Amino acid sequence: MIKIDHLSKKYNDNVVLDDISLEIRQGDVVGIIGPSGTGKSTLLRCVNRLETPEKGTVTIGDKVIGLSERKPKELLYLRQNTGMVFQRFNLFEKKTALENVMEGLIVVKKMKKDEARAIALEELKLVGMEKWANHYPKHMSGGQQQRVALARALAMKPQILLLDEPTSALDPELVGEVLDVIKKVAAQGYTMLLVSHEMNFIRHVSNRVIFLDKGHVVEDGTPKEVFEHPQNQRTREFFSKMHIMAQPEYVI
Amino acid sequence: MGKLFDVSLVFSSIPELLTKLPITLELAVVSMLIGLGLGLVMAIIKMKKIRVLTQITNLLISLLRGTPVIVQLYVAFFGIPMMFKAINQQFGTNLAVANISGFVYAMIALGLNQSGFMAEIIRSALQSVDPGQIEAAHALGMTYPQTLRRIILPEAFEVALPTLGNSFISIIKGTSLAFTCAVVEITAQGQIIGGRTYRYFEVYVSLAIIYWLVTLVIEQIIRVIENKIRIPDQVELASANGEGKKNDKN
Repeated sequence: MIKIDHLSKKYNDNVVLDDISLEIRQGDVVGIIGPSGTGKSTLLRCVNRLETPEKGTVTIGDKVIGLSERKPKELLYLRQNTGMVFQRFNLFEKKTALENVMEGLIVVKKMKKDEARAIALEELKLVGMEKWANHYPKHMSGGQQQRVALARALAMKPQILLLDEPTSALDPELVGEVLDVIKKVAAQGYTMLLVSHEMNFIRHVSNRVIFLDKGHVVEDGTPKEVFEHPQNQRTREFFSKMHIMAQPEYVI
Repeated sequence: MGKLFDVSLVFSSIPELLTKLPITLELAVVSMLIGLGLGLVMAIIKMKKIRVLTQITNLLISLLRGTPVIVQLYVAFFGIPMMFKAINQQFGTNLAVANISGFVYAMIALGLNQSGFMAEIIRSALQSVDPGQIEAAHALGMTYPQTLRRIILPEAFEVALPTLGNSFISIIKGTSLAFTCAVVEITAQGQIIGGRTYRYFEVYVSLAIIYWLVTLVIEQIIRVIENKIRIPDQVELASANGEGKKNDKN
């Protein structure tokens, strides 16, 4: 189980996250939605300490990690147990797909090369990129790069996978392949926090949806509850705007 | 009266000059390494904005870039022994400065001089690395030194290589001033030959040929390295078991 407690983050005077607490069960796929600038990405980035919040803790298993403290050992534990997938893939440019996936295993987990290679190939197979093992990121399409990035995060066997808008930087026709892989990974029982604007996808893949607005959790429930019977005024507004977009321009 | 310009002398003095080429190259390589090492440290200090050290580094870079190499060589050659002498007088110690060869002074002065330029070259190269990749490395649990060594430096090196090549070529030529520290490298040897034969002009022409050839070789070496570290344009698909033709180099 993973717990986030009293997480607060502000940039200067701008409060992005206001005392957020979440409890995530093993195997949960939690979709985080909400308008832009409400701290969805910041929430993920605070959980693995790419941003340092003012206060807040993360509990992984029975270990409590203070997010605002600077303790290298705790930080390492936190990062080993949280896998991050970025919007812009962020693959290591000078390394092949295989080396990208092996990097964390060798440097952080201190694995032997053969062992790391075996695991990396397995993960690349899972995302359907084993044939591209020796290619560099610049040879790959965005969708392929994101799949390798997913394999890189999975290879570390994190307790929780953080996906920060994994498809927003992709061409529409490449979105599908990445979503398919995420679905496959979710089916394997990985715990995930997924920030995305692909509402339909969130609706299908997640078993819990959180609506974030101005740094607060304003809606929290199953996809059916949140998408079909939103309780909060702000959530209803958000969806009604989206539905207007989805409606045909005119009907004869 | 002899010939105005004796071509044969140009070539006949080359073998004697070449005996000092190792000293020129050694001095250049060592100064380059000092420059790279110090430059990297200064670049990181400036990038990380470490207090006090940043100001000291800025002052040092400004001094090193703002004064001529020949002045720096003289300052090192005369200044360092004077400093030691003062220390000896002050504290009654007996630090033997006379045993230090001119090569060491030249090495220190040229290395320091280069580090001032290197710091800026390295800093701009380090900053050219996509911050997203650094974040990704941190997210995996890599520390800054690990990220620096495995992710940032390999990418920055490729960016910096052409400029570093330039610097190395300018050091090679900078070593010709090392005579100020009583180092006999090829230019000093040329002056000795000139003094012996009164054929200064021919000797300087031979020197020009040698420097130019050395530079040509270095240019070629840099080109080879550039091709080697560049990401290949095409890679074959790996076979089903993932074993490809290219060996990974971890």
